[in-house]
Amino acid sequence: MKYKKPVINRIDFAISSKYGSPLHSQKIRTEIDGIGVHELVEQYGSPLFVFSQKRIKEQYMQLKQAFEDRYPKLKLSWSYKTNYLNAICKIYHQLGSGAEVVSEFEYDKALANNVTPSDIIYNGPYKPKEYLKKAILNNSKIHVDHLLELEDVQSIAQELDQVVNVAIRVNMDVGVYPNWNRFGFNYDNNEAYEAIKFIANSPYLNLNGLHTHIGTFILEANAYKIATIKLMKLRQQALEEFGMNVEYIDLGGGFASKNHLKGIYQSPEVVVPSVDEYAQAITNAIYEYNTSDELPTLYLETGRYLIDEAGYLLTSIQAYKRLPNGMKSYILDAGVNILYTSAWYNFNIEIDKDYDNLTEPSILNGPLCMNIDVINDNISLPPLERNSILTISPVGAYNITQSMQFIRYRPRVVLIDDDSNTRLIRQEDDLQSVMAKELE
Amino acid sequence: MLHQIIIDENNMGFIPSIGASFQMNETAREIINHIQQGLHKDDIIQALVAKYGISQQEALIDVNDFFMKLKIYGLIQ
Repeated sequence: MKYKKPVINRIDFAISSKYGSPLHSQKIRTEIDGIGVHELVEQYGSPLFVFSQKRIKEQYMQLKQAFEDRYPKLKLSWSYKTNYLNAICKIYHQLGSGAEVVSEFEYDKALANNVTPSDIIYNGPYKPKEYLKKAILNNSKIHVDHLLELEDVQSIAQELDQVVNVAIRVNMDVGVYPNWNRFGFNYDNNEAYEAIKFIANSPYLNLNGLHTHIGTFILEANAYKIATIKLMKLRQQALEEFGMNVEYIDLGGGFASKNHLKGIYQSPEVVVPSVDEYAQAITNAIYEYNTSDELPTLYLETGRYLIDEAGYLLTSIQAYKRLPNGMKSYILDAGVNILYTSAWYNFNIEIDKDYDNLTEPSILNGPLCMNIDVINDNISLPPLERNSILTISPVGAYNITQSMQFIRYRPRVVLIDDDSNTRLIRQEDDLQSVMAKELE
Repeated sequence: MLHQIIIDENNMGFIPSIGASFQMNETAREIINHIQQGLHKDDIIQALVAKYGISQQEALIDVNDFFMKLKIYGLIQ
């Protein structure tokens, strides 16, 4: 007779809801793009980030098609901060994306990745003057965040004795809260209009773009309609009042991935708008509010939507113990230092085989000697064996770029290409890399 | 308290005096039966090793963990 680890659960009817009892779900993943999770861990170690090139391309093509089916002038820019591993960036560039960067090193990384300088959008609230000058000389797209920066650009333009194209970032109320109003010029109190007037009155500046980024993980497609309308009205004002033809509008990013936001009961399949809904909201508003002879080019920098679902984290059970509250605590080899987004998401967590056993309330703890190291504080799992592998997803967005070298080394990253071949795209940290910048 | 538990053919346990219900698997039921028959923890470990061919270490860890959970539920002292 096959042995099953003993499980007993007190039936607490309070844990059942209209969505059913959580004690019966067991999600299983044995492979990623045809390669076994055990095979991956045996070859590259655990924990291990795994990216699927196939999934990256599928998602990219879905976004592109949803917009190009509706609108003739689309430009996509890969958001470097979402994931700036070169191997990942290059896939997007090969697919036709420019780059959207928010720091000096991201700017230099984009150049090193052979992005045409004019296809680099330089965003963010802080741009050192030296890099503004570099971007101006390279004819990159500069999205100005505030008036002081506008003055910086003007003084560089004066020094170079040339007219510089700029875009302004605009923040606005679109009915989504929290309202991201710390970036750019406010639309609703006319600050954005005043910035346009400043540009119009400067002999050294020309307004060629309008940009907004209304927030992150936006679950309401209509918010993009409102944002587009406001940008289109500003564009009309710039043309009619100041004779400036704004060539492009940039709706930023913020499209939600199929991740499960904490505090939202329904599944992502129910609450996350389809890319067609986002596309329809934006493009319809452009057509409806365009009053010029020419349609603006539409830029998008939607990072999370593109990469999140292409990333997985494989982690192994290192140990388990019974907590005083009766829950089973599993100690994993991956912690919150490499899963920054665990603060926001209840990840999809899949086990490596069918354990054919009852599940019990469990908690997934990372390896850090910190009480906050919790990946999931209440998940129903069957009794798992030591060294069994959990697949955590979607983790493609922000976790690599925001991972922290803390207590444990950051792990390797592997890419599975279109032909299901694996390639190491980032080596794990080691003592040498951790100490590289230390001085005695 | 554990001596009062009634377990049906679907491994659902019920303790009438406190109105508490429990869901368990076959191994849990087996261990509870052993306890009700007066076996001590070490004997139960040996019984599992003999019946399933698992290692002494696995049986020890699992039985200790199970006893801990019974204690947390207030089913044993």
